[in-house]
Amino acid sequence: MITVFVEPDNETLTFARHNTVLMLQRRLGLRVNDALIIRGGRLLTPDSRLNDGDEIRIRKVMSTG
Amino acid sequence: MICRKCKAPAEVSLPSHNTAFCRDCFAIYFTRQVEKAIRHHALIKYGERVLVALSGGKDSLTLMLELSRLEYDVTGLHVDLGIPVSSSAARAKVEGFCERHGLKLNVVELAKHGLPIPDVKKYINRPVCSACGKIKRHWFNRVALEGGFQVLATGHNLDDEVARLFANTLRWDAGYLSDQGPCLEAESGFARKIKPLYRLTEFETACYAFLNGIEIHSAPCPYSGGASFTGHKELWANLEYTSPGTKIAFYDGFLLRGRPAFAHVEQQSGAALAPCESCGSPTSTGLCGVCRLGIAVAERRAAAPDRQSDPDRQSTPDLQSDPDR
Ligand code: SF4
Ligand SMILES: [Zn+2]
Ligand SMILES: [Zn+2]
Repeated sequence: MITVFVEPDNETLTFARHNTVLMLQRRLGLRVNDALIIRGGRLLTPDSRLNDGDEIRIRKVMSTG
Repeated sequence: MICRKCKAPAEVSLPSHNTAFCRDCFAIYFTRQVEKAIRHHALIKYGERVLVALSGGKDSLTLMLELSRLEYDVTGLHVDLGIPVSSSAARAKVEGFCERHGLKLNVVELAKHGLPIPDVKKYINRPVCSACGKIKRHWFNRVALEGGFQVLATGHNLDDEVARLFANTLRWDAGYLSDQGPCLEAESGFARKIKPLYRLTEFETACYAFLNGIEIHSAPCPYSGGASFTGHKELWANLEYTSPGTKIAFYDGFLLRGRPAFAHVEQQSGAALAPCESCGSPTSTGLCGVCRLGIAVAERRAAAPDRQSDPDRQSTPDLQSDPDR
């Protein structure tokens, strides 16, 4: 199970599994540079593998005002 | 992915530049882009004092940190708009940031000058964002002038600039197309206005802010009806996705070939500017627009003091039909 927290929507989502960051981004309808993908204080590139138990923070970058 | 330069695991993938970087090499890349902007467009000259407009968002704080690391003489300016909850949160982020990094900061409180934005919204019958923008620009200019700053820097990034250029191109706004860019030279008592982050995308400034532990103010203004140019930004994100590098090519192409082609159009200069009778800011109307706003708000506040305690009433019919605003 992978837990995903989305900013600035402040939404928490869970996914059974996703192999890579790119798959997760596709699933959420995000292009590669639409959001920061953060795990444990580091940024992940699209090819990064996701592991069971991962807590991922997604920070969308398009400014809202 | 591995870093293009040092082969360490990459943290930032940049398809637009067909590359990827680890955090250290990304920092170097980022600095190079800022230096390139400053050098190519002579944004800051040796020894000049720079006033940096700080909203509390990622772009402005990123700009401030980067310019200070490049050892420019920078001072932050935050305009506290006086909007309940959101303004104090933004201000706290800016103050905390400047304190942490030992950076100089000026704060202008609009409430102290009789123009808190909630009152502007309540008493002035025009879109609050246009009045708010005008008031902020007024204070940026005024603090720059009064404080002896030669340069006023803002955190506009490539996405902002491309979206704005695109909107003005759709209108063929010759005035805009003749002179906009990362540097507006000082004139008529205004400081030079610069945008040192214009080569960097929103994604890149967000990466920089994250990698440098910058806490940002990201809650939207309660009066914001959604971001300006959001539709255009969306369109450009798709273009960039399918053809990486399109944004910077469009913008650089404008600076190189588009702007010169329009340069001759503009020379119809407006009315002569003189210092505002009240605040000294350059204006063509005796009393500047912001001083006139201040008087209008004060008069209407005095005429209808009861409305201050009635937050649900946004505007009244007599004000909406008031032609003299
Ligand atoms: S969204 Fe809020 S802060 Fe921005 S211009 Fe409008 S009123 Fe001012
Ligand atoms: Zn590297
Ligand atoms: Zn004035």
